Amino acid sequence: MSEGTSSIQTAANGFVAPRRAILDPKDMPRWQKSSAYTEISGFIEQLSSCVENKLISSDYPVSAHIQAVCQLLDTAESWIKLFPPDTTSSQRFGNRSFRRWEEELRAQAPKLLHQMLPEPAQEAVIELVPYLSESFGNATRIDYGSGHELSFVVWLMCLCKLGFLEPADSAAIVLVVFVRYLQLCQQLQRTYNLEPAGSHGVWGLDDYQFLPFYFGSAQLIGTQTTPAMGLDPGLIAEKASEYLYLQGIRFIMEMKKGPFFEHSRQLYDISGVPRWQKVNQGLGKMYQVEVLGKFPVVQHLVFGSLFSMD
Amino acid sequence: MDMLEVDIGTLDSWIEQLFECKQLSELSVKNLCDKASAKEVLMQESNVQPVRCPVTVCGDIHGQFHDLVELFKIGGNSPDTNYLFMGDYVDRGYYSVETVTLLVAMKIRFPERITILRGNHESRQITQVYGFYDECLRKYGNAEVWKHFTDLFDYLPLTALIEEQIFCLHGGLSPSIDTLDHIRSLDRGPMCDLLWSDPDDRCGWGISPRGAGYTFGQDISEAFNHNNGLTLIARAHQLVMEGYNWSQEKNVVTIFSAPNYCYRCGNQAAIMEID
Repeated sequence: MSEGTSSIQTAANGFVAPRRAILDPKDMPRWQKSSAYTEISGFIEQLSSCVENKLISSDYPVSAHIQAVCQLLDTAESWIKLFPPDTTSSQRFGNRSFRRWEEELRAQAPKLLHQMLPEPAQEAVIELVPYLSESFGNATRIDYGSGHELSFVVWLMCLCKLGFLEPADSAAIVLVVFVRYLQLCQQLQRTYNLEPAGSHGVWGLDDYQFLPFYFGSAQLIGTQTTPAMGLDPGLIAEKASEYLYLQGIRFIMEMKKGPFFEHSRQLYDISGVPRWQKVNQGLGKMYQVEVLGKFPVVQHLVFGSLFSMD
Repeated sequence: MDMLEVDIGTLDSWIEQLFECKQLSELSVKNLCDKASAKEVLMQESNVQPVRCPVTVCGDIHGQFHDLVELFKIGGNSPDTNYLFMGDYVDRGYYSVETVTLLVAMKIRFPERITILRGNHESRQITQVYGFYDECLRKYGNAEVWKHFTDLFDYLPLTALIEEQIFCLHGGLSPSIDTLDHIRSLDRGPMCDLLWSDPDDRCGWGISPRGAGYTFGQDISEAFNHNNGLTLIARAHQLVMEGYNWSQEKNVVTIFSAPNYCYRCGNQAAIMEID
């Protein structure tokens, strides 16, 4: 832990309240040439490669800081009980109680981050709060999509840049923290009926998430399973606890009615790809185009000194 | 002279084929959009297109073709029942191509019996993000059909007015528009608030979380209805669990006609019959 603190940036480095910078489709080229873009796409790719052929239960280091991040997510999850879905008033679709949960997150995020971070890094709370607050859905629209998932990964990357998380934590970032994050997201999606904000409808990968399929396909590289087996209920029942990809498919099968090829065309087509390596590469490219490359998704991103457009 | 190169028999055979959920050929779509006087029919309509009772008002469809067929079974066949669709025919679902082709073919065949308004998804930019573009590439191998339809979308009227009383549009009100006459005088291209805005619990105008349009409070809808002699604003654009949702003390009703939206939401669909 002491090693981690040595590389932490201090207030002298000038932390600032992050602001939006992609305000118009014309800003997209600047974003795609920015250090923020290079860093976040590199970070995500690196997370994928570090979980190749690893199970969730595989042996990898789980540091105290990884556990601290999970505790923060535990705390956020505990608020769901404080704000049960409102069944008294007529609502449109999403349950209004999500707004109270999200309000609590915004109110508590600075304190939680303060508690989690060692002193020199606490100066960065001003930059970390917005990414964490945007990670679980939009309170006004009561929806969730890949932009919120991206915000969480930006938050994780900022924790790495601060030195709070380290390269040795990479596998645990995916297989412990991200897995924990997804559980919380799915619970929020179900409890409060979060509307899918995801793009492309049936032609997209999934209404809510993208990265579990990308990271999950990396986990399956070098295993005996083939992408065709990824839709097999038997395999899913047996192995979903170990593989993010299968967890993602299982969640879709639980939540969606109708023919799989119709509601999840991309995932259906992926089952025809011969090898997981190829699936993983394809999903990596697709993420760049469909998430990082789409104005409607990235327009909500904010930029400060850790995640910077300059 | 070549206004009606597509005859009624051809249109009827296309409608029949589409009801079987079979897409038209690329050439037929081109003829439907360019030669069957689709643009002329739509261009003649006002931006506040007058509609007479009885009429059945429908909300978002989003490519849920089989649910649209079910809607016609419940609401009655066209042209026996008059229909007013408030936009968002494409994107998200699996059958946007079949859905929008059918509605456009029906509009040309029975222009007095069916009104199709423009939704925020009837746009070049939005369809490239939310699925219709992808679907056209998949189903036709190129973007021509997408081009034909998105060119046609520019001609769709923005709003309709049922018996001078019920104002129908996809999204909601705009801070730069106070009267129906103002909308009548609008150029169809640039007016996006009407397709994007949402009613809200808060009073006044608010910034929309969608990044386009505004939110408007009950004070706004009340004033708009009062100033224009209206009884109700009917709109779509937002998923509602029961398929319809009264808001702002019955100044506004939201209608959503795509059941179990995105195969997962478990919502009901609704249509509104005005006698």
